[in-house]
Amino acid sequence: MAREYDHLFKLLIIGDSGVGKSSLLLRFADNTFSGSYITTIGVDFKIRTVEIDGERVKLQIWDTAGQERFRTITSTYYRGTHGVIIVYDVTSGDSFANVKRWLHEIEQNCDVVNKILVGNKNDAPDRKVVLTEDAQRFASQMNVQLFETSAKDNINVEEMFMAITRQVLRTKKERKERQAIHSNETVNLRKSNKQSKKKCC
Amino acid sequence: MQGWVRASRVLALVEHDGHHVLFVFLSSRVPPQTFSDLTIERLLPIDADFRCEIDPDSKHQDGVDVYVNISSRKLKLLFELVPGVKTSNFVGEIFRAIEVFTKRRGPPPDFHWLQKYTGNMSRDMLPESSLAEVESEALQQSEEQQDDSLSSTLLDLECADITVPRQSIAKGTTPIAARESVIRYQMAMKEHHYTYTQVLRIFIGTWNVNGQPPTVSLHDWLAGDPEPPDIYAIGFQELDLSKEAFLFNDTPREEEWQAAVINSLHPKARYRKVSLVRLVGMMLLVFVQEQHVAYVRGIAYETVGTGIMGKMGNKGGVAVRFDLHSTSLCFVNSHLAAHVEEFERRNQDFHDICSRMSFTRFLPPKGIKDHDHIYWLGDLNYRITELDPKLVKECIEQANYQPVLECDQLRQQHKQQTVFVGYKEGIINFRPTYKYDPGTDTWDSSEKNRAPAWCDRVLWKGEGIEQVSYRSHPELKISDHKPVSALFDSQIRVIDAVKYRRIHEEVMKKLDKLENEFLPQVMVDNTEVVFDTLRFLESQCKDLIIANTGQVPVTFEFIKKLDDSSYCKDWLNIEPFAGFIMPGEKCDIKLEVFVDKKSAFKLNSGEDKLYDILVLHLEGGKDIFITVTGTYERSCFGSSIEALVYISVPVREIPVGRLMELENSKEISSTQDPYPIPKEIWFLVDHLYRHGLKQPHLFEQPGLHSELLQIRNWLDQGSPDPLPGCVHSVAEALLLLLESTAEPIVPYNLHNICLNASSNYIQCKQIIMQLPEHRKNVFLYLCAFLQEVLSHTNENGLDAKTVATLFGTIFLRDPPRSRGDLTSRVRTNQQALDRKKANFVYHFLVNDQSDFILGR
Repeated sequence: MAREYDHLFKLLIIGDSGVGKSSLLLRFADNTFSGSYITTIGVDFKIRTVEIDGERVKLQIWDTAGQERFRTITSTYYRGTHGVIIVYDVTSGDSFANVKRWLHEIEQNCDVVNKILVGNKNDAPDRKVVLTEDAQRFASQMNVQLFETSAKDNINVEEMFMAITRQVLRTKKERKERQAIHSNETVNLRKSNKQSKKKCC
Repeated sequence: MQGWVRASRVLALVEHDGHHVLFVFLSSRVPPQTFSDLTIERLLPIDADFRCEIDPDSKHQDGVDVYVNISSRKLKLLFELVPGVKTSNFVGEIFRAIEVFTKRRGPPPDFHWLQKYTGNMSRDMLPESSLAEVESEALQQSEEQQDDSLSSTLLDLECADITVPRQSIAKGTTPIAARESVIRYQMAMKEHHYTYTQVLRIFIGTWNVNGQPPTVSLHDWLAGDPEPPDIYAIGFQELDLSKEAFLFNDTPREEEWQAAVINSLHPKARYRKVSLVRLVGMMLLVFVQEQHVAYVRGIAYETVGTGIMGKMGNKGGVAVRFDLHSTSLCFVNSHLAAHVEEFERRNQDFHDICSRMSFTRFLPPKGIKDHDHIYWLGDLNYRITELDPKLVKECIEQANYQPVLECDQLRQQHKQQTVFVGYKEGIINFRPTYKYDPGTDTWDSSEKNRAPAWCDRVLWKGEGIEQVSYRSHPELKISDHKPVSALFDSQIRVIDAVKYRRIHEEVMKKLDKLENEFLPQVMVDNTEVVFDTLRFLESQCKDLIIANTGQVPVTFEFIKKLDDSSYCKDWLNIEPFAGFIMPGEKCDIKLEVFVDKKSAFKLNSGEDKLYDILVLHLEGGKDIFITVTGTYERSCFGSSIEALVYISVPVREIPVGRLMELENSKEISSTQDPYPIPKEIWFLVDHLYRHGLKQPHLFEQPGLHSELLQIRNWLDQGSPDPLPGCVHSVAEALLLLLESTAEPIVPYNLHNICLNASSNYIQCKQIIMQLPEHRKNVFLYLCAFLQEVLSHTNENGLDAKTVATLFGTIFLRDPPRSRGDLTSRVRTNQQALDRKKANFVYHFLVNDQSDFILGR
């Protein structure tokens, strides 16, 4: 039976104000870019359906306000998230330094969740201050995948979203497999229970 | 379904003279109220080109809308119908009408009666070729015409996504229907973008073998061409004339002839059998070259007997169908009724085969007509009756076939549109294939002396089929028939996997984009609402405009965040806090801030600030944060007794931090001794003592709001002028001052103890003795004052009970309760509690307190 999608995942984009979270989403969902900066005051989402290995995955991607004053409110939107995209601006050292805080935020509000680190605005080498090596070292330490993107020039955006989606999909499948093994064990236990009962009788 | 989104239509199945037409109406109102609401959009005659299928997805799901694909010529329409009895009846009626058409006799209906409906319609509303079926000879022309209508139809439908029917969307219907059906429909609409045609050579052969075993090689018939065909469809009739074959449908000849065929397939290519189907003597074998096998899907075969009793298999047809790439093919091998004069029986057999041949593995079952390419071969048995057999033979000897063909029953019947309507046949340029003396090329020498005839024929139906050759093979002599073969170059639509994926992705993206566009969108004119300096009891308003800038109606609501009990702080009021906005319209929201006795103490103590983030939630959409800020000016209203006694200057003259420090620290460090009671209370009571003792309705009549504000300013700022306002305003200010504190004079933790002790004056006194110093002072000070007031009962008309009731609720203010308590508490219970409070206070109003006050 055909369905609209095989999987529905909720992704969340977080990071400091002005790093380009909304631009990444706009590029991925609508393939557009607007040079004018409109700060996100609230929480918005867009959908996009992608196919991964023949499976249809519907993504509901939530874009959050990055401003400090909204942090306690935005943290409530972490619930039920399958994957988190942490964005910094490669031309802003502060935004990179704050990634740790955002990772902490995730730990506080999510259970097990897939994460990906994204250095956006990677389109002006002369203004780049967060070196790829440094970011990569940090990402490896934190055990997350790193992507350097440009929503403006449409570099790596699709790849980044596909990578996190693949991660989420893999996690889901692994969990299912584990559950399957687990349920097999339960079945076995029950069987042995029955047998022992019989013996008792 | 118009392009990408839903649009409403009204469907009607109209019957006229036994013929059915599906009328598609536009309606100016949904549902339509009168006939004038309806305009005809299209007329779809239910004829050979009309198809109706239930979308495979919808029928398995209960409660989900039913999707019906209707196509007529090149027009493809997708209808979403509400599930239910009415829908199933309606669709059932359409299927019945289709059945009526397929079982009908005679030439196809002309649907002339539709002209009166089409008069004021544009040309393309009616599929063009429906009014006049163009037949075989005019092949080229008719195809061009169809191409025209094809392109205009596609244009029409592709434009549909630009003119999204916003009106109907605005009415609140979900714009996008079940994606799966829309995707399939869109992919079908775009088929020509991701398919290309591949021309395949198709060999069709037919031979009535008159019960003979295959004793000769079939090579000349099947493999005589230099290049190997891609597909073989080879039909036999009279494979076995034995009774056993007829009665048990079992014959060794099947195996023999199959082997003979396989041995004689073109040696330059390798073939794989697609299917073999046999009914008594009729056998059809279909082979495809190995390279195509992977693209063959949906193989099915079926048989129809039209012989004895109209059912038996001595006559009838066998058919094989399959999909090659994205073209559906159907091959029919038939042996129609024999006997020279029986052409009407033959016509009848044809119609019976058409209506009864049903590939039931599909749902709904596919008939012969439901295929892109149909090849019909066989011993059709049509004869030459209107010419003298001798003349016929003479013409044939001179290879002058034309006059004889004029008298061919099949040609005649075809022209009269009584049989093979829509089918084409190539030009016959070979000798009649029947009847010969077996083993020879000489005409049948028996007594009957019948005219030779082209019994064995090949016809086809479908677009992109070109006949390359049509011939007989007289070298094969074992039967009284000669085998016939036809070669076709047929355009098979092949899916380009890369293009398909790309277009599929585009369709998905387009749907995603639409889905995103149809998310609710609003603009809020201000997300940072800043209020001016706000004072106690003085309200301020700001307007907020929410404009629906999206394409769908918006339902909005200010929602609670985190663990808050309300969607906003208690000093803020939002009106309306929820609502509904149509696209292009807006809604004014009034934000009112007002600090009263309930919220003042939190703001004074710094426990709360004039700062709130509101969450404006759009149903099914985003959340917008609206920040509300302002500065609250501290006041003695809302300050605690404990803090006020340490403040010797007007409240506003001390630094902000000092007030908060006083409010929040338990051990107050001060260089100066505290007042016994707050000076503000003393000012107010003193004023009442001087001017209000004899005032009737003191404490009962409310004060003036403006005067209350003046009194507030006088107390908070200090002034050399006398206390402003009338006695009633001062009295209310006193009550407000007592009510605005975080805790009442009798703290909440003693509340219940007091109520329980209310009947016992001694106990009540003991409780008051235990009160913190300044509260006890205030309590006794006020009681003494109230006793003074009551001593002027004659003038002011007050009585102790009334005063006790009023001050009972103030001294013993109810502790804040959760909502659960509020609803569970019964009103009578509340009255009883209030009575206890009044009793408590009453003791102190009627008994002499002097010993108490003196601390004894």
